Amino acid sequence: MNKQVRIKINNSDYLMYDDITVLMACRNAGIKIPTLCYLEGVSQRASCGLCVVEVKGAKSLMRACVTNIREGIEIFTNTKRVRQARKTNLELLLANHPRNCLQCNKNMKCELQSMADELDVRECNYPNIRKRKVPVDNTSHSLFRDHEKCILCARCVEVCSQVQTVDAIEIAGRGMDAHVTTFFDRGLGNSECVNCGQCLLVCPTGALMAKSEVDSVWSEIDNPEKFVIIQTAPAIRAAIGEEFGFPPGTGTTGKLVAALKKMSFDRVFDTQFSADLTIIEEGNELIERIKTGGTLPMITSCSPGWIRFAEKFYPGVLDHISSCKSPQQMFGSVAKTYYARKLKIDPRKISVISVMPCTAKKFEARRPEMTSAFEYWKKELNLKDKDSFPDVDYVLTTREMADMIREAGIDFVNLSGERFDSPLGMSTGAATIFGATGGVMEAALRTAYFELTGSRLPKLELEEVRGLKGIKEASLDIKGKRINVAVSHGLKNARQLLRQIKEGKSPYHFIEIMTCPGGCIGGGGQPIPAGYEILKKRIGALYQEDQEMQIRQSHENPAVMELYENFLEKPLGKMSHKLLHTNYTGKGIYI
Amino acid sequence: MNPKTAGKIDGIIKKHSEGHGRLLGMLEEIQRENPHNYLPADSLEYVARKTSIPYAKIYGVVTFYSFFNLIPQGEHCISICRGTACHTKGSKKILDFLRKNYEFEGEDTNDAKLFLTTKDRKLTLRSVACFGQCALAPVVEIDGDIYGNMKVETLKKIIEKF
Repeated sequence: MNKQVRIKINNSDYLMYDDITVLMACRNAGIKIPTLCYLEGVSQRASCGLCVVEVKGAKSLMRACVTNIREGIEIFTNTKRVRQARKTNLELLLANHPRNCLQCNKNMKCELQSMADELDVRECNYPNIRKRKVPVDNTSHSLFRDHEKCILCARCVEVCSQVQTVDAIEIAGRGMDAHVTTFFDRGLGNSECVNCGQCLLVCPTGALMAKSEVDSVWSEIDNPEKFVIIQTAPAIRAAIGEEFGFPPGTGTTGKLVAALKKMSFDRVFDTQFSADLTIIEEGNELIERIKTGGTLPMITSCSPGWIRFAEKFYPGVLDHISSCKSPQQMFGSVAKTYYARKLKIDPRKISVISVMPCTAKKFEARRPEMTSAFEYWKKELNLKDKDSFPDVDYVLTTREMADMIREAGIDFVNLSGERFDSPLGMSTGAATIFGATGGVMEAALRTAYFELTGSRLPKLELEEVRGLKGIKEASLDIKGKRINVAVSHGLKNARQLLRQIKEGKSPYHFIEIMTCPGGCIGGGGQPIPAGYEILKKRIGALYQEDQEMQIRQSHENPAVMELYENFLEKPLGKMSHKLLHTNYTGKGIYI
Repeated sequence: MNPKTAGKIDGIIKKHSEGHGRLLGMLEEIQRENPHNYLPADSLEYVARKTSIPYAKIYGVVTFYSFFNLIPQGEHCISICRGTACHTKGSKKILDFLRKNYEFEGEDTNDAKLFLTTKDRKLTLRSVACFGQCALAPVVEIDGDIYGNMKVETLKKIIEKF
């Protein structure tokens, strides 16, 4: 049992439960303690030394993040000794850190930089003594690490291990040689890394960044030969506002569309269109699996980090994963086939750009099998293998998109809302909630229920699968048949559901797995910071938008219906399989 | 990796199947069993696959302890002390003698952190900060044995007997 203890902070008395650290006690008392390496609930390595406080009776300064409170403890957070020590510790970190902040992608958004300002560090007299120069890690399609900027706080290591249980990185070497790296410095692209980018969300410096595709996208826009289509994922509209000073949870769909139109993309479309399409295909796949005794539970396939995770860690469950491509990839193949034909444009002249909340999508777009449009046109246009082109050409993160909007001189804040272009910009509320954990499940059940019963779900909102609980469950009666579902987000939580499957004890028919905490709205491509409270607000914005949509079920999307009528024919049909489905490979890396 | 090595490692893993620090014990033994006294990448990969200890964690451990070698070692290992006492008593002379007379491979830039092996893998040369035997300076360790008051002539004779 925790008991209450009397403590003193800066000579004021407090009564607090004794199961907390000095850091938490100070926060509870409204006193700010600076931290760089600490990450609530994830990491307390006590490596940065900024949270030091004086404790009466203790010889040395104590690190608040790893010191527990006790009866009678007297803490001082603002003495000369404390201020001096914090400054010195920060100066020591800065000594080995490059000073070219102006050129850094994290300029003005860097925790280290703001900390230097906050602690009033105006000079740094320590020499840079980091000797060994480890080359930048450029091996991944999604992420990029510049060791020189790293301050070895190890937040990335802890997130990769504690939240995602991927363990792709660790601190290797000692002293001056210490650096965060993969097995034998082979690089993230040659490791277990699933490209989720949770590491870069918590990096306090510019050491970890998403691979930028901004320059390539500008070139596409500037190329008069190219017909440039942009698609934006559901989670973007609930977060990009933060980049322009709106409070978290502000839906900015109209402004986003307006900004993209001003940037002279030829068409501004919506990944939500293909999210609806995903629901039709995936819903039918689920029904077919249930009816024909196929592999159950079926697991969603929208999250490319999860797909990579399965391929590397759970090759045994690949049969359980829906063969549906993710909405991003479905959009790419539809745009370069159906839409190209409709507009009578050579598919090779079309460039499909995505805006994604996700760093793993950059990897996904480059998977060699994601060239369905090329395969489709191969015969007709007499193409050789060397002429191959990807379904999706470039992937921007929410942050990169915001950078481009700023660079284009667009006054995002004061834009009046505009609407997506037709037809691939048409979508429903079911697609909007894809961006939140549980959203795909809810959207799929709305449609599956209709497909099986011919009527609308009595209540469209499936509250059981909403919210930020690690694993959520629901059970639904559809025409006398119980359908059990589960939803997880954050890969650590996924492991629980996967273990059940491996042991043959999974009680579910359908499982949604999202790589990132909170689902796509918490993706590695989203605005920084992205704490728990911010995630909740972004999720709120998506549900709000769903509520306000006229059409809230994927199977009622008229543009998707038209696509089936004029092109695909029927769900899971021959054309669908060619363009909208895929298969997975992976032998796993552990025996 | 050949099945014989794999079998050997299987046995070692089995021996260290429980408890804290099992990885250290395992790696120590695998290195000892290796004919070149080092941990090849494929052996470490094999350990990761078999134990589910993350690859990066293993790499973190083997790069933390200077005891572990990631490159093949010579049949014999000579460690020269480069502490202050040994330096004043001429350890540099010993070092330079070895450098001049044997063909070492590796980055030879820092006397205080030397780690070289001859091309024929007969001899590994390392420098050490201090053995704590300053009264016997200069001190040299040869294959685990400490030699005090070392002279170039004595060392030459020892190496000739290898």
